Amino acid sequence: MIALQVVVGGLLLGAVYALFSSGLTLIWGMMNVVNFAHGDFVMLGMYIAYLAVVALHAGPLVFTLLAALTLSILGAVVYYLLIRQVMRGPMLAQILSTFGLALLIRYTVFWFFSATFVTLPGSALGGSIKLGGILIGIPQLVAGILAMGLTIGMHLLLTRTTLGSQILAVSEDRQAAMLMGIRPDRMQALAWGLASASAGVAGALIATFYYLTPTVGESLVLIAFVVVCFGGFGSVPGAMLAGLIIGLIQAASAYYIGPVYKDVVVFALFVAILWVRPQGLLGTV
Amino acid sequence: MRNVLVCGVVLVLLGFSALAQAGTPAVVKIGVIEPLSGNAAAAGQATKAAIEVAADIINRGHPELARLPLGNTAGMPNLGGAKVQVIFADHQGNPSVGQSETLRLITQEKVVALQGAYHSSVTVPATAVAERYGTPWMVGDSSSLVINARGFKWIFRSTPIGSNYAEAYLGFLTDLSKSSTKVRTFAIVNENTEYGTSVGGEIRDVLVKGGFTLAVQVPYNANSMDLSAEVLQLKQKDPDVAIFISYTSDALLFTKTFKALDYSPRMVIGDDTGFSDPSYIQNVGDIAQGVVNRTAWDIGKPGSATYRINEMYKAKTGVNLDDTSGRNMQGFFALMEAINRAGSTQPEAIRKALAETNLSPNQLMMGYRGIRYDATGMNTLASTYVNQLVGKEYVTIWPESAAHGSLTWPFKGWR
Amino acid sequence: MRRGWLALGVVLLAAPLAFQDPFYERMIALVLLWAVLASAWNIVGGYAGQVAIGHAVFFGVGAYLPLLVYTHWQGVPLLGIPVGIAISVGIAVLIGVPTFRLHGHYLSMATIAVAELIRLLVTNWEFVGAARGLGGPASGRTIWDLSYRSSIPYYYIFLALFALVLGFTSWMEQSRMGYYLRAIKAGQRAARSLGVSAPRYKLYAMIASAAFTSLAGSLYAVMLGFVDPDSVFGIMVSVQMVIMAALGGAGTLIGPLVGAALLIPLQTFANSLFGGQGNGLTFILYGGIIILLSRFEPGGILEIWNHYLARKARKGRTE
Repeated sequence: MIALQVVVGGLLLGAVYALFSSGLTLIWGMMNVVNFAHGDFVMLGMYIAYLAVVALHAGPLVFTLLAALTLSILGAVVYYLLIRQVMRGPMLAQILSTFGLALLIRYTVFWFFSATFVTLPGSALGGSIKLGGILIGIPQLVAGILAMGLTIGMHLLLTRTTLGSQILAVSEDRQAAMLMGIRPDRMQALAWGLASASAGVAGALIATFYYLTPTVGESLVLIAFVVVCFGGFGSVPGAMLAGLIIGLIQAASAYYIGPVYKDVVVFALFVAILWVRPQGLLGTV
Repeated sequence: MRNVLVCGVVLVLLGFSALAQAGTPAVVKIGVIEPLSGNAAAAGQATKAAIEVAADIINRGHPELARLPLGNTAGMPNLGGAKVQVIFADHQGNPSVGQSETLRLITQEKVVALQGAYHSSVTVPATAVAERYGTPWMVGDSSSLVINARGFKWIFRSTPIGSNYAEAYLGFLTDLSKSSTKVRTFAIVNENTEYGTSVGGEIRDVLVKGGFTLAVQVPYNANSMDLSAEVLQLKQKDPDVAIFISYTSDALLFTKTFKALDYSPRMVIGDDTGFSDPSYIQNVGDIAQGVVNRTAWDIGKPGSATYRINEMYKAKTGVNLDDTSGRNMQGFFALMEAINRAGSTQPEAIRKALAETNLSPNQLMMGYRGIRYDATGMNTLASTYVNQLVGKEYVTIWPESAAHGSLTWPFKGWR
Repeated sequence: MRRGWLALGVVLLAAPLAFQDPFYERMIALVLLWAVLASAWNIVGGYAGQVAIGHAVFFGVGAYLPLLVYTHWQGVPLLGIPVGIAISVGIAVLIGVPTFRLHGHYLSMATIAVAELIRLLVTNWEFVGAARGLGGPASGRTIWDLSYRSSIPYYYIFLALFALVLGFTSWMEQSRMGYYLRAIKAGQRAARSLGVSAPRYKLYAMIASAAFTSLAGSLYAVMLGFVDPDSVFGIMVSVQMVIMAALGGAGTLIGPLVGAALLIPLQTFANSLFGGQGNGLTFILYGGIIILLSRFEPGGILEIWNHYLARKARKGRTE
């Protein structure tokens, strides 16, 4: 019984990991850019949800959409102002640029909210339900299911729609895509918007069961890296699968080995994957 | 001839007053180093507010606070009414920055004494700098044993530490076992940084020696996203009492996880810190009814000195004073009392006055048995109460001499 | 060119005399420490173009060993230095061999993950003090404890170390290894076609980088007298090494010094001036500077300086 509890908990959290990691893998696969600020995008989603509830008394649907919208605009803006130029430069500059962005976002939020922890007021999604003998927190359940749905949605968007195939075309072969009349620049901005939106939604979902603090992005981005590498960079289905597995492994190690070792196991696995199968589960090197 | 005489007298008088002023400074500078940014910034900012209130109390006369040293006087009487000026510095949780800021406060700002620094990892190296420069340092909050175990002479600690807390819990649980409530097994759930590891270990050792059985110890990573594994481990071992040594974020998450998994130990003891943070009561107070805590701070009845201090702090910050900031405030008062008693800002004079401190309980705002330092600078009379969350306030329930209420058993939580 | 180096040498040697103040003396000692660290990273990150962001591992190992020697055996901390270097080099080989087979971002990811892994392991390992960390001798027992009240002796120790790293880097730059590393940085496939064994030379660069980082870490621990997992194994340590080298100019000889000389005082003053208000302004500035730098002049300050000189030369020629 407890084992089932552990498994379900891990999978639900893993689904959320999958959601924000799918955005990261899209950008990485498409532009070979690693967004170190991705965790802070998720954090922004959390705070936008909080502001929406406090200032507008928004319900879950509204604040999630608001987070998605705001973050998608931010993503596109970041692309046009920063990433587009930096992409053409040395690897060092690319890495530094998003690192700097992470610091800037994190501490600007800190400036406004300082360090007091806040949680989303009013548990519109509070409580837990009993399913098959185990207890599942309703926020976690909703977040998990929604996250899974959205990740699948993203995958379908990329593979079944014209827009999606245009985005994928640019990531596969930029020159050929240009020859076909696709504007890489615009597609990349769109990808950034999409990726950031998924981060924003993940943040809004997480805010329903986790506390808000400006520095949460730091740990989230590391998890995203692990998921993306494990799943294979560029592969959204890979991120989905990897997210679930990582969530599961984390929960299982926490319970069976010891809570302090859950991150150790994840990172050790990560390093092993990098050496044994760097392209991850579903990636193509 | 007469003019010369008058001029001469005036000059002599001016000279005397100049000398007098040169001897007693108009302002006494104290440096306070705390984490004002980073993960512990909430605690650092709360301490900053508390010390600012204390400085204000010292600088202005408050007749209703007459029982506290320096409460009723404007400025410090033995230093010609000199006012205290506190200079705050942020160590960002970084030991190297802590040392640099200590150095700056001593050599550039010329503070006469220092206080800090919350994180033992910063307090340990920073106090080493103060010791080397012969500047007195008051530790109002850090708990590591190393701080006073190095044979230093300039470092004084007014706050109770892990061993004091362990004794309090032992006393409380032993008294409880004598009554009808049977408490035999306990669990320790501690975050695995310096604070949780050392305090958790000390509580565990003292309770085991006192005859209680350790059901399980669950160390965990602070700031985790999910604590269900930890709570499930507790559920499996089912201890009578679970003692949590956690910072705010984890205290919040644990409480929520209890509700989500519909399990809680029969008694939940939160070792101050996270559980005393104002945002704890704000955010999860209604589902944490009956959580036991330890504190040396009791707001007290309206009209009492402690009540008035709390009102001042609340006017400034909007929330009640918490134990950690209160302990810092007490440390600050003790420091200034010593400086005043020394009647001088010379380092050795201050050090001697600190070493000779002998404050009785009714001269304190915190519930210690007094303040008297041993040869290593530790307060031998430091102690703590045990209290319990009823409604939106913590009510002192132990020891009997200070109790306002009695224990509600078992832990109600959200039920 | 020679005169430039001479002038720099004189300035560095005489710097402490200009600041008769313990706070500034400590600050310039830290500038040199970070110049050493950034230069050490520069070997593998700037010259070989491998953006590793896990050097905190070597720094941390180097920092822990002297204090371990002191804590468990009351030994002279300096004895821990060679052990620290040996372990760091061992880790470099362990990470390097599998990781240098990968390209680009994978190296960065791997190094971050390994550093975090080791930090977590140290945090939970009782022998090395777990989360409590380790302390050093409270005051010097003998001259070998290197326990000084003033920061000036440490300044000169770090200066000597800096000269050492610089000397090595300069030698490497002009040797065959430097030539190979430049080829690797320009493009691994091209390098391979020249017959350069990329993984081997990247590994050599990593070993040298790790050794110097470890040495600097050990001396840092001796100066501070305290280590704990977050302060020496934390990711910000790695990031700062990279940023300082990049700010000054990665792949150049004195870029790291320039970066350190600019960032350390900036951080220190920003914190002292604004830190007391507690609003994270220091990091906002930091983030902003890094973004502007990477967006407009990834070559760093030295590149900006070169542009300026080039423009002056051009203007001179047209007259």
